[in-house]
Amino acid sequence: MKLYSENEIVDAVVIGTGAGGAPLLSRLAKAGLKVVALEAGEHWEPSKDFATDEVSQAKLFWTDERLSAGEDPLHFGNNNSGIGVGGSTLHYTAYVPRPQPDDFHLYSDFGVGVNWPIGYNDLEKYFDEIEQFLGVSGPADYLWGAKHKSSYPLPPLPLNGAAQLMKRGCDKLNIKTSPAANAALSAPYFQKDIGWRAACTNRGFCQAGCTIGAKANMDVTYIPLAVYHGSEVRSKSFVTEFELNNSDNISAVVYSFNGKMQRQKCKNVFLCAGAIETPRLLLINNIANSSGEVGKNFMAHTGMQVWGQFEEDIRPYKGIPGGLISEDTHRPKDADFAGGYLLQSIGVMPVTYASQVARARGLWGEALLQCMRGYNHTAGINILGDCLPYPNNYLELSDEMDSRGLPKPRIYFSIEENERRLNIHAEKILREIWSAAGADDIWSYNRNAHTIGTCRMGNDQQKAVVNSEGKSFDIPNLFIADNSVFPSALSANPALTIMALSLRIADCFLDKMKHR
Amino acid sequence: MRNDFYPPGSVRALLNTDSVTPQTRDILNGRLQKKEIINPCFFNKEMFVTLRHICERLIPQPNRLHKVDLPGFLDEMLFKGEGNGWRYNQMPPDNEAFIKGMQGIEETSKLMFDAPFILLDITNQDKVLHSIQKDLAPGKTWQTIPSNLFFEELLAQLVEIYYSHPQAKEEIGEVAMADANGWQKIGLNELEPREPKALNK
Repeated sequence: MKLYSENEIVDAVVIGTGAGGAPLLSRLAKAGLKVVALEAGEHWEPSKDFATDEVSQAKLFWTDERLSAGEDPLHFGNNNSGIGVGGSTLHYTAYVPRPQPDDFHLYSDFGVGVNWPIGYNDLEKYFDEIEQFLGVSGPADYLWGAKHKSSYPLPPLPLNGAAQLMKRGCDKLNIKTSPAANAALSAPYFQKDIGWRAACTNRGFCQAGCTIGAKANMDVTYIPLAVYHGSEVRSKSFVTEFELNNSDNISAVVYSFNGKMQRQKCKNVFLCAGAIETPRLLLINNIANSSGEVGKNFMAHTGMQVWGQFEEDIRPYKGIPGGLISEDTHRPKDADFAGGYLLQSIGVMPVTYASQVARARGLWGEALLQCMRGYNHTAGINILGDCLPYPNNYLELSDEMDSRGLPKPRIYFSIEENERRLNIHAEKILREIWSAAGADDIWSYNRNAHTIGTCRMGNDQQKAVVNSEGKSFDIPNLFIADNSVFPSALSANPALTIMALSLRIADCFLDKMKHR
Repeated sequence: MRNDFYPPGSVRALLNTDSVTPQTRDILNGRLQKKEIINPCFFNKEMFVTLRHICERLIPQPNRLHKVDLPGFLDEMLFKGEGNGWRYNQMPPDNEAFIKGMQGIEETSKLMFDAPFILLDITNQDKVLHSIQKDLAPGKTWQTIPSNLFFEELLAQLVEIYYSHPQAKEEIGEVAMADANGWQKIGLNELEPREPKALNK
């Protein structure tokens, strides 16, 4: 790996190496720019460092404490934010459906929420490029949304028990289903400039880290590509401060490495730390916030799960967790709410499931033990749906300091009428599917997933933090590329869109540089 | 609801085979071999005894010669102060919450039955725990921390400790750890030879 001196003024510092930071890092490096990525966590070697064990793999989660407020306080930690080279992709389930074109103009269609300043067409070529590069496994013809210009490069992964059962239930109710698009390899795959990656071996522990590189985390895809093209990746580097020059540009990024403060001089900064740490860092430094919108418009997908037990042996620890999808509920005809949702089957790891049973069902004693003795017969369906932005859902800095002496973030989150109606609609369908498939002991877990919003992109600098190319309205050499810039939640899992935005922001930047 | 019972020893028998990676084996063996904690580091001795009684109600292990040391694991976790990334805004930091929570259980027990928790019969112990879970527990302590949220945290932590232990995995027939060579049979009712079958089937 190429190394840069801290005194050298590099072309760009990229903060964060997840789905937001890694793709653009590779793009800038490929264009010949001197780029350094700063990542708060470790650079793991999964084949040696990872175990099939949920508790020890909690090292992949961002565990600095967040204060969870509001009527529907979010459970951060697992499932929401990651740490380590690769960011949250280290523990994502690799579920990569594309958003649909109408996801980008919710306001035009429903008069609520907001439109994006860009549309599906602006991101389409990136979806194609990313799917080919990652080696996405999926159906030859996808049933919903815009027709893809190129098919998924690999056939779908095999369906596990939960996926087969969801198909059975949906077939009886005439709900169309399809094997899902997953960024995990159904066959060995060659990536130019990186080499071969091995096929998925059906370990269902995607959320505890992939040990063989079959899952397309950033640490086995865009990060090695970036390094191949001359980027440096500095792990264990936690950014705390920005130094600004007289013309309000960032001139250096300050970070702690092994407890020591370091600074890297730079010409540009790409902030890709996710929808909590990105606004937190801006608020701590009190920059890029003339709009007052930093930290506002926080969203989390509606993510209701319905669980059931079946006569059949399922063994929910096997196979890609999200094997099957339906988008028939993308814009339901009988909806009394704006937007919509998708359905996915879910396998689940035992400790994760037990913890949900404890928190959501409150079972203990013999009732808990009995419920868990049915673990091998358990399968779930999950929705992934819209969530509108509201003024009372936001992030602020609390008065409580963390171990680094920085204020802990406090996040307010409450769902409102639109989300409640969507959840009621979804729960009814999910329960019907599970009943039709033969489940008993059906129960629902009303949860919200993913962190979205807080540094909205838009055309009006009074109402947005960055423009449609990810550039700060206040600081000319600061760019934001992660889920914080999403103006609306989209009824699709966010990873693919974050990567597409990342590449687009890099291309817009490079294009401007060329014409300067 | 199923009520399957699995043979004991299934996970332990697999641990020393090539179906388990060395790093997974080390972690699970570490848990199996961990000595029971007699002297707590986080809780005081009195609280620790009460915690043991609470654990027996929340996750009973009556027929087990060597019980999963739930109080010991929890004490160690809280002593290390490793957080899980978030807490409810209404709750104080974990170290404070668990001390107050344990004091609250004693207070409620004395207010409801005029005796410390450990001297109650199990019916009354369960009544105390239910009142705390449902946010109906008497006691001043619960004005400073919501009892239902404390109960949720306590239960979730214990459950996560328990089901990460090989003995609990054997109880539910879960052998996810035996994946060094991956899984080929993943569909409905498809089992590989190393996956334990329920005894009552």
